[in-house]
Amino acid sequence: MGEVEVETINVLDMSDKELSKFLKENSMSMKLEETKKLPKILKRNPTLTELHIFNTEWSEHTSYKSSKSILKQLPTEGPTVILGPKEDAGIAFFTEHNGERYGIVMSHESHNHPSQVVPYEGAATGIGGNVRDVLCMGARVIACADPLRFGSPDGKHKDRVKYISNAVIDGIAGYGNPLGVPVIAGDVYFNDSFDDNCLVNVVTLGILKEKDIIHSTAPENAEGYDIIVVGKATDNSGFGGAAFASLILDEEDRESNRGAVQVPDPFLKNILFRATESVFKEARKKGITLGFKDMGAGGIMCATTELVSSAGLGAEIDIDKVHVSMHNLPPYIIACSETQERFTWISPKEFTETILKIYNKDFELPNISECARASVVGKVTRSKNYILKHKGRIICNADVDEITEGVKYERKSREHKEKRENLKEPNLKEPGDYSQTTLKILSHPNVASKAACYKHYDTEVQGLTIIRPGEADAGVQTPIPDCKAGIALSVDSNPKYSRIDPYLGAVNAVAESMRNVACVGAVPIAMTDCLNYGNPEKQEVFHEFVEGVKGITDAANNLYLKDTKKPVPFISGNVSFYNESAAGKSVDPSAIIGCLGKMDDISKAITMKIKKNNSTLFLIGKRKDELGGSVYYDINNELGKNIPKIDFESHRDMIYAVIDAIDDRLLLSCHDISDGGMITTLSEMILGGEAAGKIGAEISLDFSSLQISKTLFSETPGFIIEAEEGNISEIKKLFEKHLINFTELGRTAGNKLIVSSKSEEIINLDIKELKNSWTTGFVKALR
Amino acid sequence: MAPKIAVILFPGTNCENETKLACEAAGMEADIIRWNSKENIDDYDGFILPGGWSYEDRIRAGVISSKDHLMQKIKSAAKKGRPVLGICNGCQILIETGMIPGLKDKVEMALAPNINPFVSGFYCTWVKIKNSTKKKNAFNEFYDENEIIDIPIAHGEGRFTTKDEWILDRLNKNGQIAFSYCDEQGTVDSSFPINPNGSISNIAGISNKEGNVLAMMPHPERAFFKKQLKEKTMNNFGDAMSLAKAAKIFESMREYIKKNKT
Repeated sequence: MGEVEVETINVLDMSDKELSKFLKENSMSMKLEETKKLPKILKRNPTLTELHIFNTEWSEHTSYKSSKSILKQLPTEGPTVILGPKEDAGIAFFTEHNGERYGIVMSHESHNHPSQVVPYEGAATGIGGNVRDVLCMGARVIACADPLRFGSPDGKHKDRVKYISNAVIDGIAGYGNPLGVPVIAGDVYFNDSFDDNCLVNVVTLGILKEKDIIHSTAPENAEGYDIIVVGKATDNSGFGGAAFASLILDEEDRESNRGAVQVPDPFLKNILFRATESVFKEARKKGITLGFKDMGAGGIMCATTELVSSAGLGAEIDIDKVHVSMHNLPPYIIACSETQERFTWISPKEFTETILKIYNKDFELPNISECARASVVGKVTRSKNYILKHKGRIICNADVDEITEGVKYERKSREHKEKRENLKEPNLKEPGDYSQTTLKILSHPNVASKAACYKHYDTEVQGLTIIRPGEADAGVQTPIPDCKAGIALSVDSNPKYSRIDPYLGAVNAVAESMRNVACVGAVPIAMTDCLNYGNPEKQEVFHEFVEGVKGITDAANNLYLKDTKKPVPFISGNVSFYNESAAGKSVDPSAIIGCLGKMDDISKAITMKIKKNNSTLFLIGKRKDELGGSVYYDINNELGKNIPKIDFESHRDMIYAVIDAIDDRLLLSCHDISDGGMITTLSEMILGGEAAGKIGAEISLDFSSLQISKTLFSETPGFIIEAEEGNISEIKKLFEKHLINFTELGRTAGNKLIVSSKSEEIINLDIKELKNSWTTGFVKALR
Repeated sequence: MAPKIAVILFPGTNCENETKLACEAAGMEADIIRWNSKENIDDYDGFILPGGWSYEDRIRAGVISSKDHLMQKIKSAAKKGRPVLGICNGCQILIETGMIPGLKDKVEMALAPNINPFVSGFYCTWVKIKNSTKKKNAFNEFYDENEIIDIPIAHGEGRFTTKDEWILDRLNKNGQIAFSYCDEQGTVDSSFPINPNGSISNIAGISNKEGNVLAMMPHPERAFFKKQLKEKTMNNFGDAMSLAKAAKIFESMREYIKKNKT
């Protein structure tokens, strides 16, 4: 620990009351007892800058202080992993092409709090931050997916909910479209648990050659290397963002919280991306090893401390050399502000000029955005101290490992038994008119077509998209234009399932994301999780988190990578706590899962839309009395209790049988059974993504011994597939080999959906009627 | 020798890579030329202004790029007969330079915000357009008259409009309306979603009188290979990589250059 050359704050002599007041006045979320540790760590009182640094580093958002010990159980290794969740993003092995090994970079983040307070900017900077994580691994960013959770569109906060929903969607479009990153997947759920806290998660993918990975750490022997800050001029925007993300949102603080949200600039980012790709190219040509990191939470301070501490080195930074766009910014703001569109390079001296030239001359950053540029701000040191200088004086001098080490809590958890005991299955009468009930389900905003959302997004830019949002259960791309292999991506998590059972809900999220990827014919190779929960200091909430992590762990461990007994690995992830209103209401536990799939030949990819008249429809997966959390119960104002249970063995068999069948080109279309049950699945297959389908279906429910409503609307996992006559015997052979439970449902025919049970027609709907319900429900929720 | 195309990168352009790829797949060479490049671009046989948000759409989409010194050079190259293709933002730029429709060498048309009853602002979807001119231009050599093309759009300001009636008459008479939004049968129906943005006369693309400059809002580089199309059956990877109809725009450009190269 070193000395400083400015005044320190006398934490040692302050009473608890004085210290609390001090923390509040300085907008620090650090706890009293945490603050009191500082004089012990530093062996002296801290400076104001040091207080801000530790406040940021010790926030839940940056330190994962509550979650670290629980997250350890997640499987993160396996034959498909190139880089697990250690750096800014994980990397899965994708394919070999022309003698090179390629990886897919994947990252998952939340921007929940900012999006609740300033939805357009919050959602936009959510994209902005996540794409930086992927780029800084040395990748080209190729896709995003956006899982969104909004409040009830008919509830008492409906006006705010609608405003937030629309602004979030616009924010995602307003950032991703100019940047030129296509959206290939996503989902949207509405319910009242999100009234005060929307969830805005984002998954980003990138592609790179394995040999071109740039690590988020200073290279070995980097002593004396330059530290270069690149991008937008630092201002006070987003100051305290990480700490803000770790607070409970109070509606009354809305105005004062706005300053903690960053300001997006996709135009500058677009040019920064291109300039950075030029730096990659030059460095590869010259064989230079660099360290590179996105500046996100905690700004310059977090990025630089993490870059050097992971290499066992220290840093000396001159705050006055950071390019800023505001006068007289206090040094701790320059160090910790979360101004967007910035990166940090660690570069050997001989390459520094090249970096500066590319950003400042070739791509003219200073002419693109006021005061934007690349600036050398300091150097890497052998000593492990992290020294910040301001006006020639040392204002921070602390062991870099102490800064990045963070704090850790062993939180207590306790099940909310009462909540569980109060759950019960409703005793509903059979609906009088199954056709009307079907239409009502199709127009439920959680089921209805999300075209009014994803048509705001550029799904085509870069020209890599093969299957776009809405067309199938997962998006498909060819990341390398002339290569046969492709990737698939799906994001999933049903909030009501986790409300009923946070463990099983999480299991279902993993299972569904794998089914969705299977539906297009891709093999799941890696997962990413974003764990969104309430206040972890509450034992019941922390219990939900613990159960959620256990659920995704068990599912990944037991659903296996294809043809192995190894888990599907998690290669990246994020935890977002404090998604709770000031009144103490937390969001439905939401372990949102992104599943990355791979296919060897994209020409085999299929969509959900029915392709031919008079082909056969099969149901895979037995229908069970598992309607807890279902849309059917929701339209009856019930929650229920029995959510789908996942029998790992049969679920695995079912997924891999479908993948094999598509690989053998035996299926015409395939769609997973989830929200709304099998009748929704079938209706969506008839309609297709654009609701332009022209071929109907006729099926019989005679295979089922359940009540009709339970057969039609149960969300027990499964698939419906369409196959041509000529392929049926082969399909049967394949399914029998995999020991799959499958049933012949009926045929594709006519221009209606006709369902019969015991020779009685119970549903008779024109495609037009299906279309009308399915295409209006979501639009109404937004308007 | 393969024709050499300059794909222009303005600050904010975002479709340069796939546009370059489309040129190459159509048998041309292509270089991405940065806006501030000191390179002499006179040697290029043709030019493409790809899509994006050049200069952040400040003032109006395409205005600032249209004033760029590079555009002056491209304008004089066009006068010498070299082909120039503007896609999406590139289309907006060509309108703002007055090169399109180019009747009186001044700005004569505009691309206004979409009129769309379904989604306001930016709208990305697949549409059908048809080769709606009898006249051969540098980009429709391989199309039959009224041939229908599947192609995506992705824009917020793609509605061709003009305040002068006579301009439309002249465009029709000159055969300058190169592409029009249409339905599956090729009928030019002005109702949404067949006309996705309210464009006047369903215009999707306009050429200059001479036919060597084309401004179009839809993205042919995103509908170049069969695998990129929305509705498709792919028998094998070779089939997936076979060229779709929109590729003919690039192939026509190649042939036009070969024929007219002096």
